[in-house]
Amino acid sequence: MNLNLKPDETFRGDFSTRNSDTAILRFPFPFHDDKYMYAVNLEPHVRGGPTAAYDAIFDLDEHYIGECRDRALTLAEDPLRCQVLPHMIEAEWDTLELLMESLAFDYPEHFTLTKSGTDRHWVNRPLGLDRNFTFGDASSLPLPPFEYITRQVQGDFTLHDQRENTLFMDGGMVTSQADWSLNFDLGMTFHEWHGPVPVAHELGVFDRALAYLMRLPYGKPVRRLNWTLTVHPRLDTSPETYPIWGPDKATITPANVGAHMCLRVELQTLTRLPRSNAILFGIRGYLIRLDELVRVKKWAMRLHRVLRDLHPGIAEYKGTSRYRQTIVDYLGAFDDGSIISPGTGSEQASLREVTTA
Amino acid sequence: MKLRIEAISVLSPTIRRFILAADDGAPLPVAGAGAHVMVSLPGETRSWRNAYSVVSGPGMRDHYEIVVRRSQQSRGGSAFLHERAVAGDRLEVGLPQNFFAPSRIAGRHLLLSGGIGITPFLSYIRTLHTPFELHHCCKREDTPAFAGLLPSGATNIVLHTNREELNFRTLLAAQKLDTHLYCCGPEDFMNDAFGAARHLGWPEAKIHRESFGGVVSGAFFTVHLKKSGLTVQVRQEETLLDALEAAGLEPPSLCRGGACGECELPVLAGIPAHHDHYLSDSRRAKNDAIMTCVSRAHTSELVLDF
Amino acid sequence: MIKSRPLYRPFTLDVSGRAHLVVTDQPELPEMVDLPSVDLEIFTVQTVSSEIEAPVDGNRRAFHAVVDLLAHLPRRLANDKIGLRIYAIGTEAFVWDVHNIARAAGLGSAEIHLTHAGSLRRRVYCAHCKTMSEDVTDNIVLCPGCGASLLVRDHFSRRLAAFMGVKVDAEIPGEIPAAESLYQ
Repeated sequence: MNLNLKPDETFRGDFSTRNSDTAILRFPFPFHDDKYMYAVNLEPHVRGGPTAAYDAIFDLDEHYIGECRDRALTLAEDPLRCQVLPHMIEAEWDTLELLMESLAFDYPEHFTLTKSGTDRHWVNRPLGLDRNFTFGDASSLPLPPFEYITRQVQGDFTLHDQRENTLFMDGGMVTSQADWSLNFDLGMTFHEWHGPVPVAHELGVFDRALAYLMRLPYGKPVRRLNWTLTVHPRLDTSPETYPIWGPDKATITPANVGAHMCLRVELQTLTRLPRSNAILFGIRGYLIRLDELVRVKKWAMRLHRVLRDLHPGIAEYKGTSRYRQTIVDYLGAFDDGSIISPGTGSEQASLREVTTA
Repeated sequence: MKLRIEAISVLSPTIRRFILAADDGAPLPVAGAGAHVMVSLPGETRSWRNAYSVVSGPGMRDHYEIVVRRSQQSRGGSAFLHERAVAGDRLEVGLPQNFFAPSRIAGRHLLLSGGIGITPFLSYIRTLHTPFELHHCCKREDTPAFAGLLPSGATNIVLHTNREELNFRTLLAAQKLDTHLYCCGPEDFMNDAFGAARHLGWPEAKIHRESFGGVVSGAFFTVHLKKSGLTVQVRQEETLLDALEAAGLEPPSLCRGGACGECELPVLAGIPAHHDHYLSDSRRAKNDAIMTCVSRAHTSELVLDF
Repeated sequence: MIKSRPLYRPFTLDVSGRAHLVVTDQPELPEMVDLPSVDLEIFTVQTVSSEIEAPVDGNRRAFHAVVDLLAHLPRRLANDKIGLRIYAIGTEAFVWDVHNIARAAGLGSAEIHLTHAGSLRRRVYCAHCKTMSEDVTDNIVLCPGCGASLLVRDHFSRRLAAFMGVKVDAEIPGEIPAAESLYQ
């Protein structure tokens, strides 16, 4: 896969990042229907799906270099964004093996993994890394194995130990999250870390999802989508930096909503790891400005309807109260009210030009 | 995946070891400590799927090693492996799955096995980073076979040929707070060990036994589909959903694990055997719906409105 | 009720245990504790009596300070055998500190019983600078680390034994509501 990597992009400060037409068309739009409600929307994670974002097991795109740099900046300021409890060391190696093998398979022109016994030679051409190391020997890597590899992949990752009939979040690399804190949530059970989510507990969503995940087989990963709204294409919307990004929420106006407001979608993957029997939770985030998204007719109409009719508890939890109406008004101009088909694909081979709003 | 029997060794008249590998020598999926593979074996009247612990451990990816005892009454899997299987035969082997992984938070591990129940612990002792103690009970005549599978000279591995000399009470009462107990062997052996542990105040979270709770295979049954007019047979080791799809139908589905609720179909007659996590107890009791991805039938026939 | 918010039970003896250790941050076990007839080992804290030697009386031991009790606990647990049950009675921060020491010693959640007694005051973790504020009784507290006015949430971390605090005026700086004394 040719990624058309952009060498220089920022996700803070001047927010220089932009989505190319290709990136817009491959966006994993999350809304299958005109209404949104929590559900156990897990499905097998196999290569292939409604857009090209589903073509690899761990999807990379044109923002790869910029996102890895942004992660490094966040870690330099706050090293506790990456923490793994000591009993998860085998899960660290499991993660490193899975990510290296997947990237080398899906993107052979960018990554190469050579193996001989426990000797490994890893080449990451986009980031200019070339490393010989010994699998299972942490001293042969410059960083702990989980941190070493997750600094080289887009998206956040958490590690979950299975015991006492639940899953414990016992590790993670979390630098591009939708307002939750790894340092605070580390060590929590499945139900504890989902504690703040409204409505879904009462629907039994988490009980069912946990029962399913406890039996997640090796070799059969699953995926689901989640979403929220973010002002600017900012990756690091964490509780830690809330004083930095919180003021942005009060700046949205009808004039800037299209350029500043982003739909943030997480393509979440869950994979059973073989040595540790832990689960790796991948949270691959995608940001798209509204004025980029409306170039797909169906997505503009559907997002308008979903946000207009959103359950008040969910709207509140997702922190949208200051700007939801502004967004609905903006998107309403693109919605003629006609019936649109179910499904999340763009149904357009190329993008339309949009001049209104 | 199809794996070839590379080698067979006879460890005792009733115990054999098999080495399985891919034809092209390709690396096999990792089998963690305590993992098993399902092996499909031809029998006289039907085929069998047996679970065998992968004793070679996660470090080995060029082959799997399994150790098989011929069970006395066997007409199926173990009889085939002992009497008919020869090197070069190809067997259908599933991906390793693990229902008996060691605790990662345990400071120490106490492993108790009886007879062929030692097999999951053979991969444990190759991988545990924390201190462990293994006590294995077997018949006197099987001692050489098991001794040959274990590292020699290890002071934390003890073979017992007399059940009486292994006093569960004394052993379990002496364990420190961070010890976890694992037991695998004949039912009465495990019941004795777990009974002693509970009596001594061991919490359930520190008592581990292999559990095959996730298995959804079951008896053969027939479904009649009212709307499409089709009749579909559901074989022992396929799901209702698979059978519907194999019949050319496109029933709804999403997670295929009984969690999401997407594959629900209305039941018009017959009693479903519910294995899902989706339907509430009151819905289950009505027997008017079935999640086709995991649930089966208590009756020999079901009628679905599909 | 948020799912991360722990639920506590009144003290009752766990009869599946072989031995029982009760620890409290108070001078005496609260009256609600209906002591059973079995042998209990009891640790208490008697801060008022710092001039006299802390009494050791059979299975009862009084510490001068919570920190002393917490420092002694790992040593007490280091060589014990499975079958022990530990019961912590006191403020939320205290019982979770005990819980975490017990977990580190190898006890599991079924071997640790927590009873909330006394004040509702909270330990608050600043989500921005990671500083802890002890004994918080208001729902808005000034962080001693970064100076932010933190809204005390119900989201609770057992590992940190603390509630989360987030800057209350992050979106519109200066807009700080009046604090209420919710956690006396």
